[in-house]
Amino acid sequence: MIRASRVIEALLFASESPLAPADLARADEDLDEERVEAAIAELRAEYERDARAFTVYEVGGGYQLLTRPEFAPVLERFDSVPGAQRLSGPALETLAILAYRQPVGRAEVEEIRGVGSGGVLKTLQERGLIEVVGRGEGLGRPLLYGTTQFFLQHFGFRSLDDLPRSEELPVVLARREQRKEEADGTAAGVSEAG
Amino acid sequence: MEAPALQAGPFDIDLDRFHGPLDLLLHLIRNQDIDIFDIPISKITQQFLGAIRNLQRLELERAGEFLEMAATLVRIKAQMLFPRRGDDDEAEDPRADLVRRLLEYEHFREAARLLERAERTRSRLFARGFVEARPAPKLADLPLETTWDEVETALGGLIERLNAPETIHHVRGREIKIDDKIHEILAALQQARRVEFADLVAPWGTRLHAVGSLLACLELAKRSVVRVRQVSPFAALWIYRAKQEREAA
Repeated sequence: MIRASRVIEALLFASESPLAPADLARADEDLDEERVEAAIAELRAEYERDARAFTVYEVGGGYQLLTRPEFAPVLERFDSVPGAQRLSGPALETLAILAYRQPVGRAEVEEIRGVGSGGVLKTLQERGLIEVVGRGEGLGRPLLYGTTQFFLQHFGFRSLDDLPRSEELPVVLARREQRKEEADGTAAGVSEAG
Repeated sequence: MEAPALQAGPFDIDLDRFHGPLDLLLHLIRNQDIDIFDIPISKITQQFLGAIRNLQRLELERAGEFLEMAATLVRIKAQMLFPRRGDDDEAEDPRADLVRRLLEYEHFREAARLLERAERTRSRLFARGFVEARPAPKLADLPLETTWDEVETALGGLIERLNAPETIHHVRGREIKIDDKIHEILAALQQARRVEFADLVAPWGTRLHAVGSLLACLELAKRSVVRVRQVSPFAALWIYRAKQEREAA
């Protein structure tokens, strides 16, 4: 019988985007999410031991084979196409507001940034980093935006819990988040330390 | 007192560097270690106005955003001049709202910086499919390596050729018709029951005639008008009248 780790390896190898544990488990009757996790751990240990150029990363709620960072210079040089385009400052600012405040409308984004943000929102939406997640209550029922799964993949986060946590940000934010937590009684930002 | 400071140093500012008026304002405050909860509004207003002197270079929308902030600062400055009643704790500092906005913006600016760091880290990992199969480059994408000298040389050659005296060679092949050759063979076979191919070709003596005769010969054989026999390779090739051959047999 083929080992579970080999099955998982085959699936990860053949996929160009992250695969969720549940998806991986569906591949074989003998697999469940727990076994998938075990197989992933096994693969990682194996790749580590053999000093492979890649390993299994967890991004955007799934697992993916990615090359290790030390090979970045080689790969960047190899491909003549300009590498992954970085986001502009305004785009990052807008995305930060969305990531922490979602769902959020354009008006709030513009109020926080102090500048018009319609164009930036449109660009982010076109790049698949944000999406319309609903409509607000206010006048004209404004569109509300949230981040996408691709957003997590782009920044290498496993989930929104991986966002930089309050203690890494200026004090004001921590206070704000605390207030929010007290208000809705949920402990946002509590996650396994990355 | 502040006038000289407006001319140089941290206040000679390139507005394009800033994402907006809040960004600029924070820059002024943080770069001078000003206590954000006690902003010297007069000084900061003056510096802000100095920084946006070159506003006309910006597009209208962006300029409007900076002007709006300038107006807010001037308003706060004016409000600061009115004495607040000391016994009224409820009276809010005119700067309070601005401070709240600045802190909120600063928080997200910091968050954006952390996102950028995460993006940079992530961009160093590559998934399968990163190195794509490469399509042949489009002609337009290839760099041109031709120099003007080469164009000139080519032009020179062209002119030379145009000026060269016209020498015309008319090359015309002699026409050999397969039909003529067929008649020739049939005529020869009128005289004799068989004829050797070499004899057929001999009077003409050129390869082209030999080819013509051979094709005619093969054509006749195909029509079963003649039969062609050769005992061994390179031996004499004999052409027989087919009908008589059959009669003879």
